Amino acid sequence: MTLAPHLDSKYIVRGELALGGLRDLAPSLRYASLLTEDGFSVVSVAGNEFDSNRFASMASSTQALADAVARELQLGDNEFVIVAAEEGHVVQVRVQGHPLVLAALFTDRETIGGSLTAARRTARRLTTLLMAK
Amino acid sequence: MAEHVILFAGPMGAGKTSAIRALSEIDVVSTEAANSDRTVADKPTTTVALDYGEIGINEAEKVRLYGVPGQRRFDFMWTILAERAEGVLLLVNADADNPVETAIEYVKEFFALYERGGIVIGLTRADLVPRALIEEYANALADEMPDVMIPVLTVDARSQEEMMTLLMTLIANIELKQAVADSIGVGVGSGGRRAR
Ligand SMILES: Nc1nc2c(ncn2[C@@H]2O[C@H](COP(=O)(O)OP(=O)(O)O)[C@@H](O)[C@H]2O)c(=O)[nH]1
Ligand SMILES: [Mg+2]
Repeated sequence: MTLAPHLDSKYIVRGELALGGLRDLAPSLRYASLLTEDGFSVVSVAGNEFDSNRFASMASSTQALADAVARELQLGDNEFVIVAAEEGHVVQVRVQGHPLVLAALFTDRETIGGSLTAARRTARRLTTLLMAK
Repeated sequence: MAEHVILFAGPMGAGKTSAIRALSEIDVVSTEAANSDRTVADKPTTTVALDYGEIGINEAEKVRLYGVPGQRRFDFMWTILAERAEGVLLLVNADADNPVETAIEYVKEFFALYERGGIVIGLTRADLVPRALIEEYANALADEMPDVMIPVLTVDARSQEEMMTLLMTLIANIELKQAVADSIGVGVGSGGRRAR
């Protein structure tokens, strides 16, 4: 049986690398989590004011609900999820080829477009990092 | 029968998703994700937000079936979906580690819904264990909560017929409770909920 990503050092180490890169890329990053699609936190960075397990669970539910809406309306694959609130926004993208979601919370100092670009780039980088042996 | 909103709760792998799929007359809305926790339940996927299905009573009335994720880490979904529900169909798999304790734990968790409408317990996967005596559950519940009336039935979550029996037991409980509330409501002149 293969190890689940949140228990697999390969995912943890490369996830840390990717999230560290996101922090450098986006100074307005407040919190970011790499999670399994069923809601286990693999790694997280920045703000320690959040409960990483709870954040991961909620991101997992949000992702699945958004995917279900896209499926229900026959819109093709859902590409990302954005929750835009008064004082910040959460961007979620899937990590291609793996049962993983990247969820990142940015302050309102960054535009949603800028945050989305940073999150997508990070997810793509993680896919590349995970390709190496 | 009036419109009803029923919550399907219980631990991961008990059969909530299977039951809603067996019962629903519409394509079920599912939120399955790859399961990273094969030790708790060895199945490829697990529900991470909700399952949603419907049974039509007539043009205007339906029973709405909401399934929650079993894992406690998703308990915010329990809270969100419990708000609109009138009763709980609690499924507990007999092949779990401590099925009797688990049943009581979930009854306590959703006790507000017992008071609002009712709870029934379906003991699933009983065919996979040498003995799954319903009396054990009934007795443990009676010891723990002497004044509480919760029917316990053995069911196969995959069986439309068996799940329908359990669901109708719950709906009968809910309608009885609403009828009592209505008659008291009429007595004191306040408008209670109408159960047709
Ligand atoms: N043998 C047996 N399997 C059952 C019974 N009820 C449900 N199952 C199986 O148990 C699993 C339950 O999984 P699922 O419905 O995803 O559970 P959930 O986590 O509560 O949504 C499925 O593989 C069902 O086919 C039963 O009475 N007997
Ligand atoms: Mg399920």
